[in-house]
Amino acid sequence: MKNKLFEKYFVFSPYFWLVLFFFIPLAIIFKISISVSEWGMPPYQDIFLFDNGFKINTTFENYVYIFSDYYYIGSFVNSLILALISTFFCLLIGFPLAFYIATSNIRLRNILLVLVVIPFWSSFLLRVYAWKIILQNNGILNVILLNLGITSEPLQLLYNQYAVIMGIVYTYLPLMILPLYGYLNKFDLNLIEASKDLGLNRIKTFFKVILPLSVPGIVAGSLLVFIPVVGEFIIPEMLGGSDRLYYGKILWEEFFVNRNWPGASALAFSGIIILVLPIVIFQILYSRWSQKNEI
Amino acid sequence: MDNNFLVIENISKSFGDNKVLENINLNISKSEFFGLLGSSGSGKTTLLRILGGFEKPDTGRVILDGTDITNLEPFERPLNYMFQSYALFPHLNVFNNLAFGIKENFTQKEIEINVRNIAELLSIEHLLNRRIKQLSGGEQQRVALGRCLIKKPKLLLLDEPLAALDKKLRSKTQLELTTLQKKLKITFVFVTHDQEEAMSLSDRMAIMKNGLILECSSPEEIYENPKSLYTANFIGIANIIEIYKKDENFYSDDLGINFKLNKELKNTKTNILLRPEKIKIQSMNNLKTSSFNSFSGEILEKSYLGSFTRYEIKIKNMIISVLDQNFNSNSNYNFPKGEKVICSWESESIKVLED
Repeated sequence: MKNKLFEKYFVFSPYFWLVLFFFIPLAIIFKISISVSEWGMPPYQDIFLFDNGFKINTTFENYVYIFSDYYYIGSFVNSLILALISTFFCLLIGFPLAFYIATSNIRLRNILLVLVVIPFWSSFLLRVYAWKIILQNNGILNVILLNLGITSEPLQLLYNQYAVIMGIVYTYLPLMILPLYGYLNKFDLNLIEASKDLGLNRIKTFFKVILPLSVPGIVAGSLLVFIPVVGEFIIPEMLGGSDRLYYGKILWEEFFVNRNWPGASALAFSGIIILVLPIVIFQILYSRWSQKNEI
Repeated sequence: MDNNFLVIENISKSFGDNKVLENINLNISKSEFFGLLGSSGSGKTTLLRILGGFEKPDTGRVILDGTDITNLEPFERPLNYMFQSYALFPHLNVFNNLAFGIKENFTQKEIEINVRNIAELLSIEHLLNRRIKQLSGGEQQRVALGRCLIKKPKLLLLDEPLAALDKKLRSKTQLELTTLQKKLKITFVFVTHDQEEAMSLSDRMAIMKNGLILECSSPEEIYENPKSLYTANFIGIANIIEIYKKDENFYSDDLGINFKLNKELKNTKTNILLRPEKIKIQSMNNLKTSSFNSFSGEILEKSYLGSFTRYEIKIKNMIISVLDQNFNSNSNYNFPKGEKVICSWESESIKVLED
């Protein structure tokens, strides 16, 4: 009996974690987002006032404010586009790599897997900073291009959206490769041979057999890249320029520069809802679909 | 009969330093049911995969119906391969698995008709809408077979076609497979490690060992007249006795008896094969021991197998296996353990193993 109880709590401990570090902070953010702004510390009024009898002091003005200004919506759209493009390139590079790793012999496979994970051994910040050094005007890439005579003056490689995409794809690639590898590792290679034997060439075999059976891995990897990239702050901050504003940066500025905590909270809360709701709906539909198709 | 329907010519294959196939030559006739029998590591599956196009041979050629197919991709070959694991597509139902190979070149209506026909042939019409995971092993085997046969291949390659089935289903499927093959007249080449399976399915079979073909003949010929010691031991139960020339006759030290052979020998020392069912077993009282082709011994072990009783009989330094058919329904007919008996055989039953 005692053991059963322990098992029960043990099983539910991740949910406990989720409540403690996701739902409670989310509730606090929501609370701040419906508070009235004030010049002070903290820079918002309490939502429950007791001085002249009980009074609820809330406002939705913060939401009206951020949704009526294209500055905020636009930055969110920019972040979504950035996440889509980055996920696409991660998939484009990650899929063949994951497939190659999953189908190579065990010794080579272990070496390749370690190579995928090695970047995690150094600081994320350092790795992004290293790209800054590579891409800057007198950086190694420009020096090579100049010396080879491919270009006569240094190219502006840094501080634009392309540098941001490159940095994100570089950083998030392992998060795409590992779940994909996990699924492709279980892939029965005889299925590919069977498809070829039945008359389908390599390209048709890819689209009729490999791709449909890789959907779970593709979904897992894509979500793992897409979701954090929407809120990515460091990489656009370090590699990006003023050509495009992203959601993470706007959020940071609203909070720390403008000290508009309720506005920033409204922005954060809306972002989470806009992002999480479709993904939850997608997950429900997808699990129904995959159950039906037994993948 | 066209003896050169499938010609395998000087095929060799190595993986690194490991020589898997050495100079394999085989001619297989049209509509033949041909078995490749060998233990694991004999190279039989590699040979089948070379025929399927999944491996390229280092040397040699494969000619099918007059066309050299050695360098063709699997999807260009007019043959099909049935995998040991069946390799059915888990994301498709039975209908779409069957239709997988004909979807490209047929109209929707033709696909329907073809799938129905093949499903009827294999009695799996009721399974067409099922998913692969909902099928039993035997049903999966039929779908895998149907998926190949629907393409009307010139040659069907089968990798351990019955290995994944349980014993009872296996013997039933064996019979169905031979009936189907004779009906469709498609050339079947299959691989197995199971000698019973090879014997019951094959018109002809090849025994493989360490990348070589030791013998290639009909199952009867290979069982009754094996050429090598390895084959004799590999197929069925074998009593192998070493004999050497002594005066006019041959003598076995292990058994301490003389053998009369109706055949001249090249060597003065050789192995002979005596199949256990060729040995007649009689009670001591009935007969006197003759000095040739018979011996007396003691029953060491006995196992009753229904239609047969298998005895292990000890004589001098050797244990000889004897299979005795149970003609009589009286159980007392069987000899008890420890009884002294006389075993005898015809001179023709002794097979000399030259290698």
